[in-house]
Amino acid sequence: MVTGASSGLGQHIAIRFAQRGARLIITGRDKSRLQTTYDQLKGEGHVQVTANLTIAEERTFLAKSASNLNGLVHCAGIQKHCPIRQLSEQLMTEMYQVNFLAPVMLTQSLLQANAIAQQGSILFMLSTAAHIGTRGLGPYSAMKSGLIGIIKCLALEQAKRKIRVNGISPSVIATPMWDVHQELLTQQKARHPLGLGTLDDVANGAIYMLSDASRWVTGTSLVMDGGAVI
Amino acid sequence: MSVVQDPFSLSGKRVLVTGASSGIGRQIAITCSQMGAQVVISGRNPERLQATAAALHGEGHIAITADLSQQEGIDQLVAVSDTLHGVVHAAGISKLVPFRLINKQHLTDIFDSNTFAPMLLTRGLLAKKRIAQNGSILFISALSSHSGALATSAYAASKSALLGAMRSLALEIAKQGMRVNCIAPGYVHTPMLDGLGQGGGNMDALFDLTPLGMGEPEDVAYASVFYLADASRWITRNYFILDGGLSTPMDIYA
Repeated sequence: MVTGASSGLGQHIAIRFAQRGARLIITGRDKSRLQTTYDQLKGEGHVQVTANLTIAEERTFLAKSASNLNGLVHCAGIQKHCPIRQLSEQLMTEMYQVNFLAPVMLTQSLLQANAIAQQGSILFMLSTAAHIGTRGLGPYSAMKSGLIGIIKCLALEQAKRKIRVNGISPSVIATPMWDVHQELLTQQKARHPLGLGTLDDVANGAIYMLSDASRWVTGTSLVMDGGAVI
Repeated sequence: MSVVQDPFSLSGKRVLVTGASSGIGRQIAITCSQMGAQVVISGRNPERLQATAAALHGEGHIAITADLSQQEGIDQLVAVSDTLHGVVHAAGISKLVPFRLINKQHLTDIFDSNTFAPMLLTRGLLAKKRIAQNGSILFISALSSHSGALATSAYAASKSALLGAMRSLALEIAKQGMRVNCIAPGYVHTPMLDGLGQGGGNMDALFDLTPLGMGEPEDVAYASVFYLADASRWITRNYFILDGGLSTPMDIYA
C-alpha cells in the first residue's frame, strides 16, 4: 500500500514498485490524479482508493480494502514554511493531522485488522528535516521527528511478527514543486556534495527497504542526502 | 533501443572485498558475484580464501592472499587491482579485553587491522587512481561504534574511527562522483563472533536482546549490494545501522 500516490514521491514509488512486480493499493485525495498514477502501473490486480487520511472513517474504509499487505509506504504529507514566531494553531494542527496523525492511525487500523502480513515492511517517508534543524520548517520537522519515535516503538512491538518498521529520509529532490523557487534550488544544490537527488533515487531506497533484502533492518532510517547532512 | 541496466545489479562492476576468507566478507564477495560483479577478494588465510573463490559465481575473479596490517600487503593488493567500481572493507578483528588490561600492543593490533588498514588501502587505491568515477567505497563498521559493549573499548574505538574517517573522505572525493559510506552491523553469525564466545564472553544473553534475532552474513551482504549498486548513487557520508532492532531500545547492557 502506498499513500500519497496521486503525486510526487508517492506516485513515483508506486510506479517503480509495480515495475518491480508488486501488486499495489494506491491511495490519495485527488481522484483524477490518482487515476493518472493508476494508469501508469505496470501489471495487473492493482487497486486505487480515493481517501482523505485525516478523516477516521476514510482510514477505516481504506483499511478494510486491504488484507495481507507485505508492505506499507506512508508518502502522503505536506510541507509548509512558517517561522515558529508566526505559527498559528490552525497551521500546526493541519501539519499534525496530515503528517503525523494520519500515517500513525492508518498503521494502527491496519495492524488492528491484522492486514499486515508477517515479515511485512512498514516505511514512513521522513526527511532530513527529521534529523536536523532548518529555519522555518519547525512544524514539519517536528512531525517528522515525531514519526521517528513511532518507528522505534512500533519496531519493537511488531518484532515478534517479524514486521519491520523504518523511515527513509531524503533531503532535497528536484521536483516540479521547486520550479517556482529556482534560486533556493540552486542554493540547495550547492550544499549537497553529490548534488540533488531524483525521484528514482528515493524509489530505489524504498525498494531496498521494502524487499526481503532488508529483512534484518528495523527501527532505523535510511538517510539519502548526497552527503549534505552529518 | 537502449537497454536500461537494473540499478540493483552489479553487472559490469569490479568490486574489491577484503576479509573475504570468512564471515561477512566472504558472504559479501559471494553475493556480489551472484549480482554480476567481478570480484577481487583478499584475506590472510590462503586455504579459506580459496574456499571463498571456489564459491564465487561467474568467472574472472581474482584472489590475493595479503595481510593488510602490513604496508606490503596493501601495496600488493593495490598493484593487482584494475579499475574498481566498488571497495568493501570487511576485514577486521575483535578481542574481548577489559579496559584495565588493555595495553599499547592490543590497541595497535586492533587499530592496525580495523582502522589503519582500510584507511591506508583506500589511500593507496586513490593514489593509483584505481577507483572509477562514481565508485562506491564501503567500510564495515560495527554497532559497537555506538554501543560499546563490555570489554570492547579498543574494538569500539577502532570502528568509531571509521565513521569519522568516512565522513571526511566523502567530502574529498565527492567531486569525482565517488561515494563512501559505513554499514554498522549488530550481532551477526560469524566465526569472529563464535571466537568471542569461546573467549569466555557470555554472548547468548546479548544475542537474545536483538528483537529480530541474530543476523546472518547475507543480511550485511544484501545491504552492501545496495550501497555498491547505482540504486544508492545519491547516498554518501552515511552510516547505516543494520542490527535487527538491537539499538532501538538500547540500554547499557546492549
